[in-house]
Amino acid sequence: MIRIIFSTLILSASIFAANAQEANAILQKMDEIMFSAKDISATQKIILIDKNGNEEVREATMLQKGTDMRMFRFTSPASQAGISVLSLPDDIMYLYLPAFGKERRIASSSKNQNFAGTDFSYDDLESKSFAAKYTAKLLKTESNAFILELIPKTPSDYSKIIINVNKTNYYPEKMEYYDKGNNKIKEATYNFKKLGKYWNTELVEMINFKKNHKTQMIMSDVKYDTGLTDDEFTVRKLKQ
Amino acid sequence: MEKLAERIVKFRWVIIAFVLGLTLFLGYQLKNLHINADILSSLPENDPTALLYKNIGKQYGGNNIGMIVLETENVYETEVLKHIKQITDSLSIDSDVSSVTSMTNILDIKSSEWGIEIGKLIDEYNLPEGQAELDNLRNYIDSKDMYKESIVSADGTASLILFKLLHDADMRLAALRIKNRVNNLALPETLYFGGLPFLLTDITELIVSDMSVLIPVVFLIIALILLVSFRSLRGMFLPLLIAGITVIWTLGFMAILKFEISIISNTMPVALLAIGSAYTIHVLNSINLFSLKDRKKALLKALAYTIVPIILASLTTSIGFISFIFGAYLSIIRDFGIITSIGIVFALLLSIFFVPALLSGLSFYNKKDKKANKEKKDIITHGFLQPLIKILFKYPKRVLAIWLIIIAFSIVGVFMIKTSVNITEYFKADNPTRISENIMQKKFGGSLPVFVEFEGDIQEPEVLKMMIKTEEFIKQDPNIHSAQSVADLVEQMNYAMGEGEKIPDDKTKIEQLWFLLDGQDIMEQLVSYNLDKGIIQSKFASIETDEIDNFTNKMNKFIEENPGENYKINFTGIPPLYVKLNDSLVKSQYSSLIIAIILVFLIVAIIMRSLSEGVFATIPIIATVLFLLGFMGFTGIPLDIATVLVGSVAMGIGIDYSIHLITGYNTHMKEFGDTEKAIKETIMAKGNAIIINVLSVAAGFLVLVLSHIVPLKNFGLLIAISMVSSGLGALTLLPVILILAYRKKNNNKTV
Repeated sequence: MIRIIFSTLILSASIFAANAQEANAILQKMDEIMFSAKDISATQKIILIDKNGNEEVREATMLQKGTDMRMFRFTSPASQAGISVLSLPDDIMYLYLPAFGKERRIASSSKNQNFAGTDFSYDDLESKSFAAKYTAKLLKTESNAFILELIPKTPSDYSKIIINVNKTNYYPEKMEYYDKGNNKIKEATYNFKKLGKYWNTELVEMINFKKNHKTQMIMSDVKYDTGLTDDEFTVRKLKQ
Repeated sequence: MEKLAERIVKFRWVIIAFVLGLTLFLGYQLKNLHINADILSSLPENDPTALLYKNIGKQYGGNNIGMIVLETENVYETEVLKHIKQITDSLSIDSDVSSVTSMTNILDIKSSEWGIEIGKLIDEYNLPEGQAELDNLRNYIDSKDMYKESIVSADGTASLILFKLLHDADMRLAALRIKNRVNNLALPETLYFGGLPFLLTDITELIVSDMSVLIPVVFLIIALILLVSFRSLRGMFLPLLIAGITVIWTLGFMAILKFEISIISNTMPVALLAIGSAYTIHVLNSINLFSLKDRKKALLKALAYTIVPIILASLTTSIGFISFIFGAYLSIIRDFGIITSIGIVFALLLSIFFVPALLSGLSFYNKKDKKANKEKKDIITHGFLQPLIKILFKYPKRVLAIWLIIIAFSIVGVFMIKTSVNITEYFKADNPTRISENIMQKKFGGSLPVFVEFEGDIQEPEVLKMMIKTEEFIKQDPNIHSAQSVADLVEQMNYAMGEGEKIPDDKTKIEQLWFLLDGQDIMEQLVSYNLDKGIIQSKFASIETDEIDNFTNKMNKFIEENPGENYKINFTGIPPLYVKLNDSLVKSQYSSLIIAIILVFLIVAIIMRSLSEGVFATIPIIATVLFLLGFMGFTGIPLDIATVLVGSVAMGIGIDYSIHLITGYNTHMKEFGDTEKAIKETIMAKGNAIIINVLSVAAGFLVLVLSHIVPLKNFGLLIAISMVSSGLGALTLLPVILILAYRKKNNNKTV
């Protein structure tokens, strides 16, 4: 009897372990799809939509090398044209405001703040591997998607994120963000499209349920692996 | 009149069926009746200050802001910070809360030579520990105007947690749930809950508990008085039934017309129970009076005898309430006037049609009334009315002199009347809302919001500079401790960019600094979405009328002296609204009194077809109102949103006694042709009903003394006093005037 219970325990524990293993494998595959390009250059259109349906459009060019070097340069509206944000490894960020002609280092001690009026927090925009930040659990397998539950490894505003990962191509289709009271507070939906050998995030839409506010990020003119060098990601470049 | 009375008896079953049907229908409507405890929502739409205040509350979400104060010996302890974080977290996961601001999550912009740090005042995942870190935090907070006295009290013993509810949230349910949630954390510190969501919840609860306690008590007390007075179940049952149906009809009608129960109309059922029972008392009294053998005949005669005075009485009482429609600043006062006067008309219709119908239909005639009535009459008649008549005829001048002395004293008192508009004073001293408000006042420089709104392009340097100038100006007032606007944030950002703590002259610079502020929670509390409006938020610490007046005048002068092409400045807030409310209380007190006096005089004069009788009937009631106001002056009971009603209500109800007396006098004059005899007969015949009526109405209103809301307590007490005084006025002052007028006329004739 005891043996049966014991073996059931081991069995369920191993199912559990298998589940975790499988879930983490799926997450790693997703990371590969999302962050495999050596570098990207693209144009970003950011559309902010408030609860009354008012839209505000911003445009920027974006350069990214690896997962931790990124240059974001706003081109419109005119009042914000030239504002640039440079992100470097170890959470170092510089901001350049052309009207002042100076750069300032920005430390954002809290990554849960929203980036420039969007519904994305600095945390959401970080191109850091999901597998490194979260522990995954496979909730269920649907006909075209794996449903994963991600639990943050470090302190976060989120209690969990539920991700739908495409079963054939392993890109995320939807991410649901939950607060510590287990309320769904945000939801991101993704449109991926294959460009050459990479899957590109053509559109991400983030909805903030509490603010009733939406942000769409649309990427175009995407070029992969053009051989960007570290020189593109310096304070000197920021000011140009 | 007899014809009408006959018809009523003829169609009795139709009337009974109709009343029953309507009662069922209107009773069913009660489920749609809502309570609205928000006094501010009752501010007039046509007053620019009030309108601006309401709009700012809506636009910048200030009406949805709740506050929790955590009080302890020293806020700067890791343990305490942990608890503040716990509260913050438990609020931010509430589905109705859109944002929370506390010590543990407030935005902080630090700048140094190397750059800017936009972050949080405290790292919530790594709270300061050890004396050194805690001291640092304290010094840092003390050095920043933004935090001092706004998030932590100056003495470091209290911390404020602000939260904003979603627009579509049910404020009351959310407030209750949040209170529960936070109390369930079982924190060792003392917590206080404030702000509109909690205030309204508390008032709503007070209204509900007031209504559910007061109405049954009023019922019981009036029942007891009726039983003792009439010594018959019919005498007790009928007036209460009529009053009860009146209340159901009126509340049902309110629901259909989408009126809401307010902190004022909350008293309406009590008022209607007291007033509504009175008409039936008079009908029953006159039926008793004409206790003929043929009961039907008695009923008909009694009806004919009372219909006119009852119609007159209800008309004048309605006028007392209707007089609030003119000149009332708050719509809750106006609505109360409208609704209660509708209720009075219901009571009138019921006692004229339904009471006789019921009496004849159900053979509900008094069976053993004769003997009982005689006995009871003997007590009031021998014990009070007969001696009274003797005194009145023996010493009419002395009685008049006593009244004149009382009136003279009262006039002195009228000049001592104070006003009270501070909503927190409307609660008893041990009420949690009042305690919270006091703490807010003591620790965080008051809780009376002050707003200065700027219209214009908020990113224009000129506008932002003017905002800073205005802030500096208002901070000079000793009652203003802090002020906040987007201009402060722009200055801080400019400093962080290394260009000093000032507004840049170049608009592009401002637009680019804005990039860093965009999307921060605080922005929507300070600027409009289109950036065409922005506000300075501040708090005023005093509720003294002259200090508020002084500040309001200073502000208006400042705005006048600082015009600009690119902006317009508007000033609002609770302090200037209190000034207006205060003015309006005094104004509407006098205007509604004057309107009521004139209308009452006109109606009595027209129906009696006699100017002098109009004057005679109004004199006792004017004396009563003066006595009442004088009483308020001497006892320090202030004029407030409820007591402002007393004068006109007292007048509307009190005039009834004079009307009953005068109509009786007229009837008996026709009968005997002799004034003295007519007066005697009238007092004997009507005195009874008047005394019962005074007692039941006064006792009914006196029950309001049990109310949790201070103005209502005072209101009940004052109405009770004025009932007694107007009853006495009708039974002493009025006869004395009639006697003296008659004697003078006689003397003139003999001369």
